[in-house]
Amino acid sequence: MKKLKLVSTVFMVAFLLILSACGTSKTGGEGEKTLRVVTDAAYAPFEYQDKGEVVGFDIDFINAVAKEAGLKIKVEHVGWDPLFVELDKKTADLGISAITINDERKQSYDFTVPYFLSTNKILVPEGSDIKSAADLKNGKTIAVQNATTGQEAVEGLLGKNNEKIKKFENNNLAILELKSGGADAVVADNTVVEQYVKNNPKDKFVVIEDSNAFAKEFYGLMMPKGSKLKADLDKAIKEVIDNGTYAKIYKKWFKVDPDTQILKDQQ
Amino acid sequence: MDFRWDILAEYAPFFLKGTLLTIGLSIASIIIGTVLGLLIGLGKMMRNKLLALPFSIYITFFRGTPLLVQILLIHFAVVPLFTGSTNAIAAAIVTLSLNAAAYISEIFRAGIQSIDRGQMEAARSLGMTHAQSMWNIILPQAFKRMIPPLGNEFIVLIKESSLAALIAAPELMYWGRAMQGQYFRVWEPYITAAVIYLVLTLSLSFLLSRLERRLATE
Repeated sequence: MKKLKLVSTVFMVAFLLILSACGTSKTGGEGEKTLRVVTDAAYAPFEYQDKGEVVGFDIDFINAVAKEAGLKIKVEHVGWDPLFVELDKKTADLGISAITINDERKQSYDFTVPYFLSTNKILVPEGSDIKSAADLKNGKTIAVQNATTGQEAVEGLLGKNNEKIKKFENNNLAILELKSGGADAVVADNTVVEQYVKNNPKDKFVVIEDSNAFAKEFYGLMMPKGSKLKADLDKAIKEVIDNGTYAKIYKKWFKVDPDTQILKDQQ
Repeated sequence: MDFRWDILAEYAPFFLKGTLLTIGLSIASIIIGTVLGLLIGLGKMMRNKLLALPFSIYITFFRGTPLLVQILLIHFAVVPLFTGSTNAIAAAIVTLSLNAAAYISEIFRAGIQSIDRGQMEAARSLGMTHAQSMWNIILPQAFKRMIPPLGNEFIVLIKESSLAALIAAPELMYWGRAMQGQYFRVWEPYITAAVIYLVLTLSLSFLLSRLERRLATE
């Protein structure tokens, strides 16, 4: 019995040591600290992994902003859901992942000024009888990415947790579901579906726009509530947009010029 | 940590529905997996190496590749091949059954091979055929020894059915993730789901230990 107690004590101590080691390694010296930026690198062209490296529009943009603000950053792919946990628990300093600024999220997190304009669009096979968002209501099955504004938009049309809405881990799976015949449409951010159609002409998908049903959305950098970074980042974002760096990055990834006026109006 | 009971109450009906589907998926897969597992286990034990080879390959494949990949493959490629469209629930049952069968077949093989050779010899000398001896003499004895590892496998299966959330099968974990996506809160949905899984696996352990005691001979 004594022996058992000793062994369990040793285990407990070892366990606590490991725990405390984990706890201290994340925080570290202040001042010259490298900010931990988390992302969900499965959202081309915003962020995706190219041979193990996280790249994309968002990544170029945040690097430009960090340079402008004089901050050191390290971008890390953690996944969509963990991203929110990390920021909530303050184990990460910043999140960038085409995150739409909305009131629900603002309750739990802080956002910078908007840096990107986006709307949800509908992806359907060629010849589909879905012509507008209203057509989605006629008993159609719709695939979306869980926890995105696409999901919210569809739930706004069909009602929360409607059985006709299939929620997937990411947009790739949702589009695959459409391709395999398990859904009639996918609702997701315009850049994602447009990019998909451009890259996969063989699938014969078309993109439907419905600006009456789906509101304009703005992406922002997400921070833990009460983050001190906000003021610096806001300033840097405005500067990057004003000095043309933003347009250069935008053109590199989307091949068109951005409408920066809309962003400036939002600031 | 503040725990929002109100959103939990709102999602309670969904969790209930999800739990029922999880139980259904698990029971179906346990039954199909056990039957398939027995056949595959017997197949692998055949004397003729050439006939036993396909069964070995089956086990190697399903035990050696991630369940996640199997689920995606079967959902997006195999099921649409037969029905023309995807069906998350069917895909989940098929994958879980096929995957469990690979593990269960090895449990069967170990159980059967643990029975003394003399049992088979005695049965055969009573005039039973090989199949009769297997069914009446060897398997009942082997089954008793297989209960603990089978229990393990069933518990793993219940928990792994949560992967079906990926293909949007509306089971327990799916609703947990849906709730998380709705409110951007992680602990309420995930801890609730974890507790329900724990209750499910505990109930199964209880049933299996009852069965084990009932079959005890000494």
